[in-house]
Amino acid sequence: MTAAVEFQNVSRHFGTVRAVDGVDLTIAEGSFFAMLGPSGSGKTTCLRLISGFEKPTGGTIRIFGEDVSSTPPHLRNVNTVFQDYALFPHLNVRDNVAYGLMVKGMGRAARYAKAEEMLALVHLDAYGDRKPAQLSGGQRQRVALARALVNEPRVLLLDEPLGALDLKLREAMQDELKALQKRLGLTFVFVTHDQHEALSMADSLAVFNEGRIAQIGTPQDIYDRPATRFVADFVGSSNVLPPDLTRAMGGPPEWASLRPEATRLAPTGPVRGTVTALRYLGSGTRVVISMGETDVAALVPAGQPVPDEGETTAIAFDQAALHLMGPA
Amino acid sequence: MLSDRSPFSLRAAAVGGLLFLHLPILLIFLYAFTTEERSFQFPPPGLTTQWFGVAWNDRPDIWPPLWLSLKVATIATAIALVLGTLVAAAMTRTAFFGREQISLLILLPIALPGVITGMALRSAFGVMDIPFSVWTIVLGHATFCIVIVYNNAVARLRRLSGGIMEASADLGANAFQTFRHVLLPNMGSALLAGGMLAFALSFDEVIVTIFTAGSGAEAKTLPIWMLDELIRPRQRPVTNVVAIVVFAATFLPILAAYYLTRGGSETAGMGK
Repeated sequence: MTAAVEFQNVSRHFGTVRAVDGVDLTIAEGSFFAMLGPSGSGKTTCLRLISGFEKPTGGTIRIFGEDVSSTPPHLRNVNTVFQDYALFPHLNVRDNVAYGLMVKGMGRAARYAKAEEMLALVHLDAYGDRKPAQLSGGQRQRVALARALVNEPRVLLLDEPLGALDLKLREAMQDELKALQKRLGLTFVFVTHDQHEALSMADSLAVFNEGRIAQIGTPQDIYDRPATRFVADFVGSSNVLPPDLTRAMGGPPEWASLRPEATRLAPTGPVRGTVTALRYLGSGTRVVISMGETDVAALVPAGQPVPDEGETTAIAFDQAALHLMGPA
Repeated sequence: MLSDRSPFSLRAAAVGGLLFLHLPILLIFLYAFTTEERSFQFPPPGLTTQWFGVAWNDRPDIWPPLWLSLKVATIATAIALVLGTLVAAAMTRTAFFGREQISLLILLPIALPGVITGMALRSAFGVMDIPFSVWTIVLGHATFCIVIVYNNAVARLRRLSGGIMEASADLGANAFQTFRHVLLPNMGSALLAGGMLAFALSFDEVIVTIFTAGSGAEAKTLPIWMLDELIRPRQRPVTNVVAIVVFAATFLPILAAYYLTRGGSETAGMGK
């Protein structure tokens, strides 16, 4: 099967700034692919390399096998949902959605029919005559989505599309986007700096750091087996243990990650520490234990006894839960 | 803490200043109706509307300068609309070395005194052996008309979110389609306003015109004709009648331009 999007050693340098530096990635057709990373890590530049607004300074980009490295944006069969939506302020919602069909020369009646169909898909049937300024943030987001989807792109690019929405709306849209992607069978490439969003929505994801991909894999791969300290730090609430602490806990002297939910409190153990903070989470309590230089979090399930702050305790865990990482 | 009402002295000064600026304009209107034709005396000895008839029927010398002014203003505005918009697009689209300096150079014609612009153009025409004609006047006026259009266009382009241009390309529009369907509709009112302002400025321009017009009948624009008329003690109120026409021809476009750009925030920059 041809990959929907393929990067081979792609770089985008701005002068001395290496926004994207030697990236290889393959996005399978029909998958929900997330690019996760802090701001400035190169994820948005990667998206703009796919849409064509950035040209690679090196490497090859293929969309469905075709080398598009020098194809201008308007000739690529991909569409973007922009971070600030970028709706046309002078056009009403219907004309906004029909824009892509209009510039391709489709007649008024046909393109309006398609536009209404798309508006129904995003539950905005009754809003065709409104101007973008008359819509709420969530509604504009849906219009931007409909405007991109009406062109039947083979790949839909989403640049932090939920960043401007409040939490409740964002969660509702996450579910809706995921359902839509499944139903349409389209390839979605989703840029976000929100690790929960990436983990919960994506089939596979790439974690970006300083223009390079730190790790690429399924959400579970990345959550359970972070390849580097950066990934462990950025993606999860995982404990990152320095080599001496790993050794003290019975592992080899290497950096390791340990998920709080894989640990339990024990009266005795190789390393003891002082409880410095407690956070009640509903499903359990997160207990932070200071072990020398490092704070280690453990999750105590609901219903089990919770120590007081200042008490001394140790933790126990299966050795298998200790995930060793590379030096970086 | 500031009080809601300003002191009486400040208000009196403001009213006085406004009267000083605008009463003379009312006087021009008033003298169009005076019965005294040799000199302007206040109060007018009597009021009549006969000068409107005289200007319309008995003064064929009014029409050539009026047509000349309209022609020059129209062509200069048309040139300014094209070049001013292009320059504005170039200045906002990309950052390049020396952009701020070039921006200053573009604004210079309107900052420089008219005599300097006039002298520079006149000597340039001389060096290049270009004979004075309607076209030299048009060129002279275009120098400052471009600035007016440029200023309006650049302000609007800066407020437009650049994202909508990218969105248009992303949806499959080529550069021309983006210009036609996205850029132009969002700039329309700014260009209309700039064009009207440029037209009004060109229509009553005197200094640059004198330097670039040579002599002879084809060189006499309406403002210059009016200046000549005031020196001659003959049917003076006719000049005031023409002044009212000039006032209408320049003030109304400026007023329209003001209203057009004031509502601009509704069409521009609402991408978010």
